[in-house]
Amino acid sequence: MPSSLAEAGERLTVHGDAGAELSGGKLSAVEISPRVGAVPRRITFPDGSLFETGDNDAIDRFLTRKGRGREGIIHRMERFHPRLIAFVAAAILLGALIYRFALPALVEVAVAVTPPVVPRVMSVSTLEALDRTVLGDSELDEARRGRIIEGFRAIAALSAGGEGDYTLNFRKGGAIGPNAFALPDGTLILTDELVELAGNDTEMIVGVLAHEIGHVELKHSLRQIYRAAGVAALIMLIAGDIGSGAEDVLVQGGGLLSLSYSRSAEAAADRHSVELMLKAGRDPTAIARFFQLIETKLEDHSETSIFSTHPGTPERRKAILDLVAELRAQPR
Amino acid sequence: MALSEPATVPAYLDRRNNFGRSPAGGFQRLSFAGSASEYFGIWIVNILLTIVTLGIYSAWAKVRRNRYFYGNTVLLSRGFEYHAKGGQILIGRLIVFAYLIIYNVVLTVMPLAGGALGLLFFLFVPWLLTRGLRFSARVTSYRNVRFDFVGRTGGAFVAFIVGPVLAALTLGILAPLASRWSYRYIGNNLRYGRKAFATDPALGAIYKTWLPSAAMILLGLLIIGAIIAINITAMAPLIDDPDAISDELQASIGALTVLIYVLMFAVFGTASLFYRAGVRNVAWSATTFDGKHRLMSDLSRFRYTWIAVSNFVITLVTLGLMRPWAAVRMASYVNEHTAIRFEGEVGEIFSAIEQEGSAVGAEFMDIEGFDFGF
Repeated sequence: MPSSLAEAGERLTVHGDAGAELSGGKLSAVEISPRVGAVPRRITFPDGSLFETGDNDAIDRFLTRKGRGREGIIHRMERFHPRLIAFVAAAILLGALIYRFALPALVEVAVAVTPPVVPRVMSVSTLEALDRTVLGDSELDEARRGRIIEGFRAIAALSAGGEGDYTLNFRKGGAIGPNAFALPDGTLILTDELVELAGNDTEMIVGVLAHEIGHVELKHSLRQIYRAAGVAALIMLIAGDIGSGAEDVLVQGGGLLSLSYSRSAEAAADRHSVELMLKAGRDPTAIARFFQLIETKLEDHSETSIFSTHPGTPERRKAILDLVAELRAQPR
Repeated sequence: MALSEPATVPAYLDRRNNFGRSPAGGFQRLSFAGSASEYFGIWIVNILLTIVTLGIYSAWAKVRRNRYFYGNTVLLSRGFEYHAKGGQILIGRLIVFAYLIIYNVVLTVMPLAGGALGLLFFLFVPWLLTRGLRFSARVTSYRNVRFDFVGRTGGAFVAFIVGPVLAALTLGILAPLASRWSYRYIGNNLRYGRKAFATDPALGAIYKTWLPSAAMILLGLLIIGAIIAINITAMAPLIDDPDAISDELQASIGALTVLIYVLMFAVFGTASLFYRAGVRNVAWSATTFDGKHRLMSDLSRFRYTWIAVSNFVITLVTLGLMRPWAAVRMASYVNEHTAIRFEGEVGEIFSAIEQEGSAVGAEFMDIEGFDFGF
């Protein structure tokens, strides 16, 4: 019903058309809703009655006079004003800075404070899950296994963690075929199929294992998990209101970015292999031969694409050979 | 329910009516009083403060956003009100966040325990959704009378877990059933003051609105299939000779993958928007308040889909900057095509409801579950 609001000393009162007081209360006990755009203000009295007014400016003037002008600060920021251009720039800049610097820093902190038991538990359970589902017992003969283990021990001993940090497991790959992979606690898994693919070139397998040791030493899997979580959190944060379609696009974009991260991790592990093999006095180009083998036997000539987890095989091989040449050229 | 019949007037025919803006029967339409420029300020300050406070402000941002949209949603020249406090929303979010962290940690540490955990998740989500719906309803008021939601977890489980799973398993054939369940769950459990809403959308009507979307998806998949088939036949002779896989071919395979991906997104997106508008029309128009006041929705499915798609494209092209404009545009359209017809004198109806008061006091303790509006 039509009525008016008035100030009476310490009190705020509402009067009807006839002038009778309908409601009132001490200013401190009256709740005045913060201003949002041109939405009518609600003034709620202690007895639950409500006074609504579209005259936002009058309420703001009143609050300022009472020294409560600060309550409207958010609204003043939100007003349509050239200042908003600066806000847009600041939001974009801050978002980019967080992605570029804060996120990697947070990932490093998270990796540093993760107790070693976490990767261990993760690895044990992953291996158990893999053993139950795809992997089978290795059918390699002892002699071949012995040669690989010998090479593996030699390079593991020279890695930062020492030989004790790594264990090598032989498995039959089954559905995953020729492959070698590392779990974050230093458990390495090598499939029979890969050993067969390598033929008699044990050195090549050692080179591949050095690559996997690189993944463990550089803590790639932990980093990837934290990074994915961080990117998801960032999208959730900023994407408070961008529409569900645009949010999907952001998530997909985040996926593409994480692939680029995965490719650079592969390249870093390749370099690690070269360095470790050189240090052990073994053939640093062994892993390049492995890529050559993949190219010819599996006919993989793919180039680096933004949709893959690994860099293109020919490109990787070239990068490795370049690095070997560079390292060999350096005076020691 | 005989009252539900007029709902099935095909929405695309309704364009004729829109010029008049005042359909027969005294329907009172909602309107939207906000503007894009006003919302732009609220939106960008929300984003900026959310970033600066590392996400904590997002709870208060939601309050400001909702107060803006609810407050500008006007029926009979009075706006709706959103009363949630940032603190309540923050606590609710922290709980959900903690659960997700625990869930992911356990999943990483014990992948084989994932099954049991998934089951727990299926029970937890309906509970959260129920709480979220209740929270959203209770913090919403119109003419100083609050809404309420009295649905239980069991109903949410059927409506939001069993329904979508069933729809997915049957490749969308049972999607109308799922839609009916969820609309019935929400519509029959919603209260305004002490009065109830009731809804019973006819399954036949939902299937009628589902058909064009199903046809769209089928046609889209056929076209995509044809594109793939044509390209494979064109590329096959080149691939027989492994050495001949040229860079160009590589590039064209990549381009094809992207094209197919975008097409899939477009086909499913359009079809689901089309369906969403149709179901909304059917369900809202089959809803009554207090057993006699009829609700109505007469979105044009074409127009609704067009607005949503063009909003998406414009938001993307302007790197998000036009999002406030897009949000206001959509809110205006949807509000203008939502109406209620009061049986009797409006003033009397509302003063009776106001006299009865709300079932919920203003000072209840509640926290938000999922972000889930209605």
